Amino acid sequence: MSPAVLDYGIKMFCCVFAAGVLVYVFLPTRDTETGVDKTRVAYLYERKDVVYENLRDLNFEFKSGKFTQEDYDGMRVGLEAEAARILAEIEMLESVKA
Amino acid sequence: MMPLLGSFCLLFALALALYCFVVGVLAAVRRDAVGYRLAETARRAGMATFAAVFLAAAALVYAAMTNDFSVAYILHHSNRALPGPYKFAALWSGQEGSMLFWALLLSAYGFVLRLRHKVDQRLVAMASMVLAGIQVFFLVLVNFVANPFGMMDIVAADGNGLNPLLQYPEMVIHPPMLYLGYVGVSVPFAFALAALIMRYPGEKWIHITRRWTMVAWLFLTCGISLGAHWAYAVLGWGGYWGWDPVENASLLPWLSTTAFLHSVMMQEKRGMMKVWNVWLIFITFMLSILGTMLTRAGLVSSVHAFAQSSIGSWFTGLLLVVFLVCLFFYVRNRDHLRSENKLESLVSRESSFLFNNLVLLGACFAVLCGTLFPILSEWVRDVKMNLGAPFYNKVMVPIGLFLIFLTAVGPLLAWRSTSWGSIKRNFRIPAVISLLIEIAVSAMLIKNGVRFWTDTGQMYAMLAFCLSTLVIATIGSEFVRGGLVWKNKLQTNLLAGMYQLTRRNMRRYGGYVVHFGVVLVVIGLAGAAFNRDKEQEMAKGDELQIGHYTLVGEEYTDDDNANYTSHAALLDVYKDGKFVTRLNPEERFFKASGGQPVHIVANHSTLSEDLYIVFEGFSNGHPMIKAMINPLVNWIWIGVLVVVLGTGMALVPNAALVTAQVPKAAAVAAMEEQGMHPAGAGK
Repeated sequence: MSPAVLDYGIKMFCCVFAAGVLVYVFLPTRDTETGVDKTRVAYLYERKDVVYENLRDLNFEFKSGKFTQEDYDGMRVGLEAEAARILAEIEMLESVKA
Repeated sequence: MMPLLGSFCLLFALALALYCFVVGVLAAVRRDAVGYRLAETARRAGMATFAAVFLAAAALVYAAMTNDFSVAYILHHSNRALPGPYKFAALWSGQEGSMLFWALLLSAYGFVLRLRHKVDQRLVAMASMVLAGIQVFFLVLVNFVANPFGMMDIVAADGNGLNPLLQYPEMVIHPPMLYLGYVGVSVPFAFALAALIMRYPGEKWIHITRRWTMVAWLFLTCGISLGAHWAYAVLGWGGYWGWDPVENASLLPWLSTTAFLHSVMMQEKRGMMKVWNVWLIFITFMLSILGTMLTRAGLVSSVHAFAQSSIGSWFTGLLLVVFLVCLFFYVRNRDHLRSENKLESLVSRESSFLFNNLVLLGACFAVLCGTLFPILSEWVRDVKMNLGAPFYNKVMVPIGLFLIFLTAVGPLLAWRSTSWGSIKRNFRIPAVISLLIEIAVSAMLIKNGVRFWTDTGQMYAMLAFCLSTLVIATIGSEFVRGGLVWKNKLQTNLLAGMYQLTRRNMRRYGGYVVHFGVVLVVIGLAGAAFNRDKEQEMAKGDELQIGHYTLVGEEYTDDDNANYTSHAALLDVYKDGKFVTRLNPEERFFKASGGQPVHIVANHSTLSEDLYIVFEGFSNGHPMIKAMINPLVNWIWIGVLVVVLGTGMALVPNAALVTAQVPKAAAVAAMEEQGMHPAGAGK
C-alpha cells in the first residue's frame, strides 16, 4: 500500500471514528434514568443492616469462645440499643412522611 | 501514518474528557431534566475517551513494533535488535509514553466506573466528573507537554535502544503493575471527593469503592514486589530494597492505602473516623501523584529515575490544585463528617485500628521525609544531602515490629471494649506456641554458632520471628475456633468447617490470609540480618568457600549477539562436599546503550537460603566473583504470593446464608399459625 493511500485511509478512519463517537455521545436516549437523591431513611436502613450484621458477628464470635459472658452481654446490649435507636428514627421519619 | 492517528486520538480524547468534566459540573449544578440528559452525554463522552486513548496507545505500540524511528519517542526508547516484548514495553519506558500509559489506565478505570453507573447514578456521575478532571490534566500533558508522537526531521537507521536495566522479563510487567496501583487509587479518591461534595449520607461510597481500593492495593503490592525481585536479580548487590527515592515513592501510597483499608472498617462498622478516612484517601491520591512525579520528573537522583524533565512543575501544580479543592470541600462540608460513635476503650478493635493507622502514617511520614530530604536540604542549605539505608532501618524496623504486634493483637480484640478475661482467653495458646517456636529457633541458631544477642540487627530479627509466629498462631486460632463452630453446626469435619467459615466472610478471612502472607514476607526480610558474603578473583580451577558451599571455577565464556556482548562464568557448586548444581553468572554490555554493563545474577535458591553469585568483571585479567548467602529470601516471594491469594479471596463475594429445607406441610402449618399466607396463594 502506498504511503499516500495509507495516509488517506488513516484520515478517513479518524473521521469515521470521530463521527461514531459523537453519535454515541449525543444520540438521544429514551431510558435516561435520573437516579434519586439518597434520603436519611435510606441511610438509616443501611445503618440498620450494618448493626444487625455486627450483632450476627458478635454472636458468632461468642459461640467460638472468644469473649467472656460479661463482655458478650455488654457488647450485645450496646448494639441492641443502637439498633433500637435506628429503628425508632426510621419509624418516626416514615410516620411523618405518611 | 500512525503518529497522525495517535495525535488525532489524543486531541479528541482531551476534547471528550473536557466535555465530560465541564458538562458534568453543569449537570451537577442544574439538577433538572435537562441536567440529567447532559449528565448522560457526559458519562458517554467519558466512556469514549477510553476508545480514543486506547487507539493512541495502540498507534505508539505499532510504531515501536514496526521500528518507526521517525517518531522521536521510538527512536529514543527502542532499536531494531530489541526483542518484541521489550519493544512493547517501550510504551511505558520513557516519560511521554508513561504519561500516555497513565492516561490509558485512567480512562480504562473510568470506563468501568461509568459503565457500572447504576450502582448509584448520582454518586457515580459526580465521581465521573472528578475523574474527568484528572483525565484532562494527563491528556493536556500528553498533548502539549510530553507528546509521545513528536516527529524527527531526519529518520535514523536505528534507535538508541531501551535502557539496559529495563531489559529483564519482570520489567515488562513491573511498571504496568505499579501504574495500575497508582492510577487505581484515583477511583476511591474520586468517590470520596464526590461523596464529600454531595454530602452523601452513609458509607455506601466505601462499599462501592472497597473492591477498587483493594485492587489498587493489590497492584501496588505486586508492582513493589516485582520491583524488589528485579533489583535482587539485576542490580547485583544482593539486596531487594535499597530505600531508593523511587522505591520509596511506590511504598508511600501502599502504606497509606493499607491504613485506609483498615480504617474504613471503623467507618463501616461503627460510623467513626469519617474525617480521617476522607483525608487518608485524599493523601493516598496525592502520594500516588507524587510517586509518578518522582519517577518521571527526575526530581531526586535514583537508579530508577529513568527520565529527567520539566514536567515536575505541572505535577506540583496538580498537587496544589488537588489539595486546595479537597480542603475547600472539607471546610465547606465538614459537619457532614461527624462521627456517630466515640472510642469507648483503649483495649478494643477500634483502638487497634487507630494505632495501626497512626503507625502506618508515621511510617509514611518518615519515608516521605527521607525521600524529600535531598530536595529540602538543597532548598534550605544549598547542599543535596541524602538519607541512606541506616536512617530508614533505624526508623522503620521498630515501626514494622510494632505493626506486626498489632497484627497479632487486633483480630483478637472485640469492638467497643475487651476485658482482661477475654484477652487472657484469646492469647494464652498463641503466646505459648509462639514462645516454644522462638525457643526452638534460638536453640538452632546457637547450635550453628550464631550469637544473635551480640548484634542489634539479629536481635531485631529474632523479635520479628517471635512476633511473626505470634501472628501465625493467632490467625490459626481464629480459623480453628470459627471452624469448630461450623463443624458442630453442619456436623462435618474441621477442614470443611473452616472452609464454610471462610466462604461466609471472605473479606475477613481473606484478610487473615493477607496477614499470614505479610508475616512470611517479614520472616524473609528478617533473614537479611544473617547475610554473609565473600568476593575474590577466581581463575579456572580456583575455589571459593562460603558457609557450607564450595564454588569451583569451571569455564569462562564470551558471547556476542545483535543486542549485547557478554562474559559468563560456569561455576560448579558443592555443599558439604556434594555436587549441588552448576551456576552461570553473566555480565552483559548492551550495544545500543554504549556498552552499559548489566549483571545477570546466578542464584541457587532454597527455602532456607539463597546462594547468590555475581560476575563482577575482570581484575588483573582474572574474573571477579562475588558470592553471598542470603537466608530465607524465598519466603519474601512466597509471602507475596500468599498476600495475592488472600487479597483475591477478600475480593470474592461471600457465600449465601445457609438455608435449610423445610417440608412443605410443616412450613404451611407454621405460617398459618402465625397468620401468614404462602407467596402466590392469592385470594
